[in-house]
Amino acid sequence: MKLIQIAGYLGSGKTTLIIALVKALAESGAKIAVMVNDVGEIPVDGRVMQEYGLTVKDIGGGCICCQVAGSMMKTLEILSREQRPDLVIIEPTGIAVPESIRKTALLTAARTHISIGPTIVLFDTTRAEKLLTYETLQRLVATQLSDADIIALSKVDAAPEETITQAAAAVRGMNPSAEVLRLSVRTGEGISDLSRAVLEMSIPA
Amino acid sequence: MQSIRGRGIPKIKRGKVTIRMTPKERVLQFLQGEKVDRPPIFSGMGNVIKPVLDRFGIVFSKVHRDPELMARAAAGMYREFGFECAVVPFDLGVEAEALGAKMSFYDDVEGLLYPTIKEKSVKSAEDVRMPADLKNSGRVPVVTGAIKALRRELGDEVAIGTYVLGPFTLAGQVKELDELFEESFLEPEKTNLLLERLSDVIIALSRIYREAGADYVTLREMGGTSDVMSPKSFKSLIKPHLVRILAEMPRPSILHICGDTNSIIADMAECGADALSVDQKNCMSETRQKLGPDTLILGNFDPIKVLHKGEAKDVGPAVIASLRGGASAVWPGCDLWPEVPRENMEALMSALKEA
Repeated sequence: MKLIQIAGYLGSGKTTLIIALVKALAESGAKIAVMVNDVGEIPVDGRVMQEYGLTVKDIGGGCICCQVAGSMMKTLEILSREQRPDLVIIEPTGIAVPESIRKTALLTAARTHISIGPTIVLFDTTRAEKLLTYETLQRLVATQLSDADIIALSKVDAAPEETITQAAAAVRGMNPSAEVLRLSVRTGEGISDLSRAVLEMSIPA
Repeated sequence: MQSIRGRGIPKIKRGKVTIRMTPKERVLQFLQGEKVDRPPIFSGMGNVIKPVLDRFGIVFSKVHRDPELMARAAAGMYREFGFECAVVPFDLGVEAEALGAKMSFYDDVEGLLYPTIKEKSVKSAEDVRMPADLKNSGRVPVVTGAIKALRRELGDEVAIGTYVLGPFTLAGQVKELDELFEESFLEPEKTNLLLERLSDVIIALSRIYREAGADYVTLREMGGTSDVMSPKSFKSLIKPHLVRILAEMPRPSILHICGDTNSIIADMAECGADALSVDQKNCMSETRQKLGPDTLILGNFDPIKVLHKGEAKDVGPAVIASLRGGASAVWPGCDLWPEVPRENMEALMSALKEA
């Protein structure tokens, strides 16, 4: 059971990407479960994704540091025991710190035999200036990007090329070791690269 | 008796821990900076675990809405394990619900899920109005009912604790988060007004809890963590409101912020709480060095990795390491996840006796 994180600031397109990825990954025959925790939007997102025949687990509310961590571990253990998916895609809340989610998941390793796949962090290019310059957003965005294995520059179909180029340079500066790619769920750009990475990439624990 | 202030954590002598005080005396004297016989083992945040829920046949999703069940569950932590407090509520939605947010309690979900807010109620500061009857808004009467029941049942033995959210965390509960973050940069005066109005509600609620019988109140500003907000934003946007709330809310008070807090710890100390609470991401030795020996610092003990997922044999050493590192008492760094195993909880309670 491999854990894939689709993280990123609020509104960066996480749920839309997950739906697209699940459709793409369906061809591989992989059995997929999705865990969602997007404050205030869980029921809607959950219903949308269930329409694609997925196992969708809500990991509930509470303090992201502990209540959500406990709930997430419990859900992983139940999934491992009862559903045995090949891939678990987790969509944490838009203010979550990916590294904390990864560490929490690893605490279940003894029971779930979980392996860690890539942490994909979305960066919304249509809001690049805000995300990079607003004092109240910079910290969170930088923290999330620095934890990424793959940074997906999302909504590239809707942003000027110049902005995308600048955003790519900025995010590379924040996390030089991450792979940076362009993503547009609308046009399909980047989806096959991401689905390949999801299936093939493993991150040492 | 030894002083437990700051670095003066008592040297824990093997086999020489003497029980001289009631848990209530120990906790309250500790929070008032007075001498106690040993560091208390307690919390100011959510704590109830399955052995207690199971013993009383309490379904987790129901415990949040029934004052008697809530009180029974909180008291159970003392009765079953000797945990030296009784704290209500268990979730983080009471304030938001009192202000009009709609909650999901997950009645139909098998297993444990904390309530979530399914419908937010605030677009701007103008939407935040002090409820005409805050005492009876949302689940406030559930919490006060539970506090009164605990007071009646255990009030002489155990300190009754409660908590309120900090204004920024509460703002994120009642208003869409992305709008909050953007507004706080573009129009900070609007966010300030929102936080000011929420602070009024928080202060009023903390006083209602005190009136009901709470002995101490924790102010939980999880959204203020440096993982999310820069120290500069914390200082300019959040800190002034924390200072006002802590000046006006009942004492003793504890200010809790989770996550990376080392870069804001000096500002936290200036907010005026009687004690500070941090989680395991805080480098406690650095914090102690920065704040000196006289500040009460709680936490830095991992409730997930150690208490929930760790083995019982590892709990005691972690407790001692936390105290030796500079923590002033035994206090999990966040809520207890309800599936903390019985043996780990017992190990927590015997950690000081076996040290």
